[in-house]
Amino acid sequence: MKPRIAITGAGIISALGNSRQEVYQKLLEDECPTRERDDWADQMYGTYQPFAAAVDLPVETAKTISRHFRRSMGNAALYATLAARDAVAESGLSKEALQSGRVGCIISSTVGSPGEIYASAMAVLRNELQDLSSCQFFKIVSHSSAFNVANFFGICGVQLSPCSACASALQSIGLAYEQIKLGHQDAIVAGGSDETTPIVLESFRFLNALAKNPDWSPSELSRPFAEDRCGLVCGDGAGIFVVEEWSHAQARQATILAEICGYATNCNGSQISQSDGASIAQCMRQALKDANLNPEDIDYVSAHATSTPSGDREEASAIREIFGDTVPVSSLKGHLGHTLGASGGLESAIILEMAKNDTIIPTKNLTRIAEDCAGLDHVTSSRPKRLRTVLKNCIAFGGVNATIIYRLADF
Amino acid sequence: MTREKIIQLVNQIFIEQFEIEPDQLTPEKRIFEDLALDSLDIVDLVTGLQQKFSIPLRENKDILEIRTLNDIYVLFEKLAAEHPDIVAKLNKEP
Repeated sequence: MKPRIAITGAGIISALGNSRQEVYQKLLEDECPTRERDDWADQMYGTYQPFAAAVDLPVETAKTISRHFRRSMGNAALYATLAARDAVAESGLSKEALQSGRVGCIISSTVGSPGEIYASAMAVLRNELQDLSSCQFFKIVSHSSAFNVANFFGICGVQLSPCSACASALQSIGLAYEQIKLGHQDAIVAGGSDETTPIVLESFRFLNALAKNPDWSPSELSRPFAEDRCGLVCGDGAGIFVVEEWSHAQARQATILAEICGYATNCNGSQISQSDGASIAQCMRQALKDANLNPEDIDYVSAHATSTPSGDREEASAIREIFGDTVPVSSLKGHLGHTLGASGGLESAIILEMAKNDTIIPTKNLTRIAEDCAGLDHVTSSRPKRLRTVLKNCIAFGGVNATIIYRLADF
Repeated sequence: MTREKIIQLVNQIFIEQFEIEPDQLTPEKRIFEDLALDSLDIVDLVTGLQQKFSIPLRENKDILEIRTLNDIYVLFEKLAAEHPDIVAKLNKEP
């Protein structure tokens, strides 16, 4: 019998709030955290008005993690730890279970910490290397979020960090699903985190992928699938799940929030900066096959769609090829911006709330659907719908695609 | 530089960098056992002391012998005697 994989806890850190219920409610009320960041202007190239949907974490919240653990965390790892703490608390996993060796930790981000990489580079340029913290290395290495969370809980099972830029969270959750299916672990704390900084903005700006329109307010800039979309808005945060073997969760009478019933990841092998509809479609087909489901079994597609002209076009073509216009589709990035390595986890956590409330959050700012994104059932205003099975996409630089299918009711 | 000034500067590091409450910082406190610093913290302690006193310490063998807060105070009383120029500069600071 095929092993079944449950989600028994979910925690988030986001620019709209740090609880799923709160963020869902704000999304329903069409709130958007994107704002101008005058305080970042001096780190940008030339004269430029930066904007972002970044988490502004109060110091007192950060200090709820003791200094001993916090000292080795950049913001991405800090967000991951705070979100993981909520996820683990919700799951009810005991300290003994967490430290048994049968629980692992798979969390990743685009890079360890853009902010701390910048600080290190500035120390080199200023000849101040001797002033760097002993923990600087631990803040910037790629698996920083994974080991910081593992260390925080005393987790001593597998620790992995499949960093894949904007597919990081979904690949981490998918890898947790696979590890548990293989019988290697009973449960895994899994997801993604990221932090956005002026350097992150510049990375997208150089590639002409950052939204730009001086006539639009910050909250109007991200408009996935829209005719006049012109690029993404950078956001950040974390989305962490406790992924658990079904009978293990049942045996300890844990509340099961969702089932992961299918997962696939692939790459296009030809483009490092452009999405490719054919490989995205193939990834979704593989996930459907893994879940033993047909396209008509899916109640909603939570698109990756970041509001870039080519990325949205390619994903729309893939969704159209498989689902036509029969399945509702929306992207949360119109509201939240692109939370990068966190997006798959954070958006998946919001899907839990959509299902709980039988409501699909629409794509913000989608007033005129682009011709190259047409032919889908775009959700442009909140829509009542019972969500039993949901497909979530993530697509990343490097040509990476990842798809997870969640069952949210009728377990 | 007075012992009081040394205590003030050293304690600032423990308060700001290691988030230890001021009332915990009594001379007999052992750095590892009582103040719960570890080997990574010691690297940062040396960095903090270098920055605070503008004295290079990485190659200083005496720094390896410190066990208590008082050991740090005594070490810097000795270093202050050896570096009057630095002491003069520090004494100008509030």
